[in-house]
Amino acid sequence: MAVRLVRRLAGVLATLLAASFVIFAAVYAAPGDPAVFLAGGRDKLTPERLAQVRAEYHLDEPLAAQYGRWLWDCLHLDLGRSFKYSDQVSDLVAARFPTTLQLVLYATVLFVVLGVGAGILAAVKRSTWVDSAVVGVTTLAASVPSFVAAIALVSFFGVRLGWFPVTGSGEGFLGTVHHLTLPALSLALGALALVSRVTRQAMVDAAASDHVAAARASGVPEREIVRRHVLRNALGPIVTMCGLVMAGMLAGTVVVETAFGLSGIGSLLVGAINTHDFPVAQAVLLLMVTGYIVVTTAVDAVHPLLDPRVKEVRS
Amino acid sequence: MTHPPTRPASPTGPAQAAPRRAARAAAGLLAASLLAAGCAGADTNALGGAPADAAKLTLRATTPPAQGRLDRADWLLEDEPDSLDLDRQGGSAGRVVLTNICERLYQLQPDMSVEPFLAEKARTPDDRTLVLTVRDGVTFHDGSELTAADVLWSLKRHAAKDMEQSDEFGNVSSMRRTGPRELTIRFKEPDALFTKALAGDAGIVWNPRRVTAAGKEFGTPGQADACSGPYRLKEWKSGDSLTIEAYADYWGTKPLTRRVVFRWASDSALVNALRTGAADGTYAESPNTAAALRRAKNLRQYYGPSTASLVLIPTARGGLKDPAIRRALSLSLDRKGIANSGYGGLVQPWAAPVGAGAWGYERPRFAAAQKKLGAAAPATPTADDLAEAKKLVKEAGAPDDPVVIGTDSSQGRTVVANATRAALQRIGVRAQIKTVPPAQFEEFYSDPQARDGIDVLVGDWYISKADPMGFYDNGLSDSSNNWVGFKDPAYDRLVHKALATLDDTERARLTTEAQRRFVDAAVWIPVAQVPTALVLSDRLTGPPSSQSYLYYPWAARLGARKG
Repeated sequence: MAVRLVRRLAGVLATLLAASFVIFAAVYAAPGDPAVFLAGGRDKLTPERLAQVRAEYHLDEPLAAQYGRWLWDCLHLDLGRSFKYSDQVSDLVAARFPTTLQLVLYATVLFVVLGVGAGILAAVKRSTWVDSAVVGVTTLAASVPSFVAAIALVSFFGVRLGWFPVTGSGEGFLGTVHHLTLPALSLALGALALVSRVTRQAMVDAAASDHVAAARASGVPEREIVRRHVLRNALGPIVTMCGLVMAGMLAGTVVVETAFGLSGIGSLLVGAINTHDFPVAQAVLLLMVTGYIVVTTAVDAVHPLLDPRVKEVRS
Repeated sequence: MTHPPTRPASPTGPAQAAPRRAARAAAGLLAASLLAAGCAGADTNALGGAPADAAKLTLRATTPPAQGRLDRADWLLEDEPDSLDLDRQGGSAGRVVLTNICERLYQLQPDMSVEPFLAEKARTPDDRTLVLTVRDGVTFHDGSELTAADVLWSLKRHAAKDMEQSDEFGNVSSMRRTGPRELTIRFKEPDALFTKALAGDAGIVWNPRRVTAAGKEFGTPGQADACSGPYRLKEWKSGDSLTIEAYADYWGTKPLTRRVVFRWASDSALVNALRTGAADGTYAESPNTAAALRRAKNLRQYYGPSTASLVLIPTARGGLKDPAIRRALSLSLDRKGIANSGYGGLVQPWAAPVGAGAWGYERPRFAAAQKKLGAAAPATPTADDLAEAKKLVKEAGAPDDPVVIGTDSSQGRTVVANATRAALQRIGVRAQIKTVPPAQFEEFYSDPQARDGIDVLVGDWYISKADPMGFYDNGLSDSSNNWVGFKDPAYDRLVHKALATLDDTERARLTTEAQRRFVDAAVWIPVAQVPTALVLSDRLTGPPSSQSYLYYPWAARLGARKG
């Protein structure tokens, strides 16, 4: 057990290290010169001034040296200072991460409840009009990109009806829920079809297994069969899919944040990329990768608990 | 010395050029343009309602005075401030906020004139000496008294190498305290623009104790401010909001509005927040934002003088190297068409490279001079203009290669680029448009290598001082902004002389002469002036509507329309 834990942890660290280098190099490879931004006004951009700025921010050193410096600082919990804001990167990220996290969690609750619910409904009522309706509606929902959904939702429920606020993330629990409902819904819509489809298929597969047929033959009530035998056995793929979708959302909130005027890490990242604010872009990307690894690792860890067969295979 | 700071927010279209703004607009993912064009309200293409008539836009410096008190106003910025230390980061979002908190030695008035302010009085015993008397009875927000030593400390900080305003002090030979409330500044040569710089960020008076105590963190969220203005910084929640509150012991007139809460949003989110009443007002940095809100019933719009302009900036490469071709282009450009279809009529065809907001003195003279330039830069070209332009091209010989027009994909710039191509084609010059992403576009301004492939840039520009002389040094033969390599010793002499002429009347005369030479040579080709647009809830009134909102405590004049 302990060995497995250590091995897994080592794997996570190795992945993070590799990811950090890729991120660092990718941000540097992006076209454009951060020194132009750092040097300030258009009129001040003499070649001497640019050289001076490059030296000051160590931008003139080889990539490996810069990466080493950055990694060393990161290991000392120093993410550096933003080029754009003179603030500490850690402060900037800490101030914006909660908004994005709340948004993703809210969207996750929505797509899990609605998506899994719709999938179960479709599986149970398989080959009826309910099944077709679920498949049709979720397909339609998934084909609407989140920024289009955002526009439609904000213009109807925000501007026309005035039911929901159109900008900001709100204060207090109820305020946050009120502010984040439309953004979370825009974000969740795309995931609905995927999750409901996976749920439906996993349920159908599970329902086709022998022990379900046996249970049915021995007169176990249908409701019991669905709950204890079908759904339980189908949970593995469902949880995996939900986990993956959620992890993906951590990196995909920017469009929704822009449409709803939310200051989250998505908009922080895009701003940082556009202004060549390397320290911020690197930190946010690293955070997103870490988030992804943490969520997928957690899903992996939960798997054996849901389905003992997985554990047997692994050990 | 007197160039603009980076145009912090270019007045063109949703996908802005300036990197700071580009940040959000771009979301790269075509979000900006799609959002803006969609049903969410930021309807920049349809430009809600009848467009304004560009030629008839009335520019007023202020809104009607406020009558009543207000507990709180919600204000929108197009971006979160980078920093509240303008010596280190001079973005316009930070300036819009900080101008209510911090005071300067001189003050830019809503009508764009400049007056002594924290420097109560100013004397010039000779052309190279400026003696300032520091105002008595002013306290910083921590209660400590503002002294001449504090002023000197602040000036030295602004002048320090690497600070944003250090270039304003290039002419200064010494700054000393010469009395209990008196400072003496000596110059290497007379400097006509120095007091104007003191009305800008170079004149901010900091509380040295606060600045020193905060160290590197000064100006970041969670730090107190270090100023003496009508408002003090109450709270800045990074990524969320920034609140300022009236300062109880303020030495001057107390503001009617107790608290102003700033939030930030871009494009459609900004438009929607104003439309639904979630925010009370904003200074719209893009005319298209104002255009999208023209129909909104609960809002009023005010347009004021600004120094900003839309310009074509030719490079020394290709066909526009020849001044005759540049003049021909200027003659055949449909400026009114650009204003109407690209900007909803909210910019004005203009014949000078800086807007009317630059006329901080001798206004009638500058207005007359601008009008005279109209012959070379018509709002709509007449048959005679076109004939003249064709003749110029014929004499000079049409260039072999097509003229490459550099632009980004924002709506306004796209229209300007297309109008430029149309104008060139009409006079027998082939042209093509090169569209690049906003971040790359901004590099055209700064990096000669980046603009290697273009012949003319669809640009925008503004100057931070209300003096056109702050612009014309861009045409000096050694200026890095003189891309066409314009060389005219008489012009250089005129500009240097004007910069050293303290007398306003004489300087205005020299300036209009330099301006005539600059426009004659078509170093840059003026297209339109871009007024400041203030969008305000119809319950509120009071703040200035001119570009002074960047340097004047506008919130202190904000209040309820009815008492």
